[in-house]
This record gives sequence, C-alpha cells and structure tokens, in this order.
Amino acid sequence: MTCDHSVTYYQNMTDDDVVFRALADPTRRLLLDRLFERDGRTLTELESQLEMTRFGVMKHLHILEEAGLVVSRKAGRSRLHYLNPVPIRLIHDRWIDKYNEHRVSALAELKTQLEETA
Amino acid sequence: MTTITEIQTTQVYQIFIKATPEQVWDAITKPEFTERYFHGVRVEIAGGRRISRGPDGDAWGDEAVTEIDPPRRLVHEWRSAWDPEMAEEPASRVTWEIEEQDGVSMLTVVHDQLEGAPKTAAGVAGGWMRVLSGLKTLLETGEPLS
Repeated sequence: MTCDHSVTYYQNMTDDDVVFRALADPTRRLLLDRLFERDGRTLTELESQLEMTRFGVMKHLHILEEAGLVVSRKAGRSRLHYLNPVPIRLIHDRWIDKYNEHRVSALAELKTQLEETA
Repeated sequence: MTTITEIQTTQVYQIFIKATPEQVWDAITKPEFTERYFHGVRVEIAGGRRISRGPDGDAWGDEAVTEIDPPRRLVHEWRSAWDPEMAEEPASRVTWEIEEQDGVSMLTVVHDQLEGAPKTAAGVAGGWMRVLSGLKTLLETGEPLS
C-alpha cells in the first residue's frame, strides 16, 4: 500500500517540484558539478569520483534524469551523461525575472517622478 | 567554486513543450516564429540551407542543412556570425530532435563538433537556454518571453 501512496505523491508533483527535489541532495549536486566541469561522462567515470556504490550513483542519476537535469545519450557502445541546465533556467525565468521586472519598473517610476518634479 | 576546466565539445539541451511535434517543427523552421524567440532572427529552411536574417532583412547567416526529416529531426551547420571572433572559427553542428512523449513534445538540441570552436562553445551555452525557454513560452502561451 505504501507503494500506492508514493505513486500518488509523484503524480501530483509538478515539473518544478521534481527539479527542486532532485537538487535537494548534496550527492546529486556534486554529480551536476562534476558534469559541469566535464560533460558527457559514463557511469563508470562518475562512479570513480564518488565514494559510493555503482547502484547508489545509478539511483541518483536516475532522479536527476527524471528531473531533466541530466540527459543520457548513447555514443557507440557507451552511454554518456550530460548536464542539462534548461530546467534551472526555466525556474530562473519564472521566478527571478519577476524580481528584475519589479526593480526595472521601480527605477522607471523613480525616473518619471524625478523628471516630473524637476 | 566550480570552474569549467575543459571545452564542452558536445552540449546537450532538452526541454518538454506542451505542443505537437508539428508545432515545434514549425516554430524552429519558420521565420514568423523564430523572430519571436531566437534573438529576433528570422530563420528559414530552404533549398538545403538554413538562412538567417536580421529584423531589417539583412543576411545574418547561411548554413548547410545536412539532414531534414520533418517533424522529427533537423541537422545543420552552425556559425556564430554575430561575433567576429567566433565567426572565424570552423563550423560546428546543431541537431534538433523532436519526440512525442505522453502528449507532449520532448525537444533535444545537441550542439557538437565544437572541438575547433572554443569561443563558440563558451558563447552559445547561455544562448541556447534562453532560446529554448523562449520557444517553450511562445508555444505554450502564444506570447514571447518578456
């Protein structure tokens, strides 16, 4: 029954929830840092950088792939993992740009006020 | 603090868009769409070429299309014509792949063969994120990113 609960839980998660959940773990952030330094790595290469079992690294990579933060592609006989920064950019565009807009409009208003009183 | 220690000679960007593959295809191959999210550039695919024009109709780029399979796959050369230093670098390659997954389109952009083009490799990363975010917003809301 606990399995059913977890399925429902994940179904109700939005794209943003999945990204934040994936980022809320130091090992997963470390994996992203490693891919940022050098992209397109195999599981074996990533595993050698962490003090963790192959299964543990696979589990973390899977969560990162579910969130779209890592994309894996076949290259010949190996599978390479790439950092996909787009989901973080989408969060930036949705949240941070709003703050910038306010700042810009506040400055624009200040300019108008100063020019009117001048 | 993490720094880039090597040139990323293959860059992969992926985004899910609530639109059909045909809509995504039109958005990446027709100038009336591209000008609304691709830095204002009017992109047209014609006669085996990918022609880019600026807002005034000036020619900004002319790259060879090496594979075209609507609405699934488009492969073309890439030259960063807007920057003189990047423009001198050898051409790299851009692959657009569109797959339908549970009623949404998964768009993957692979920019590779960047071995001889380190300035382009460093220069395009932020651009691709902005372009893809803008493309998603345009297709899902009908409005470009502000």
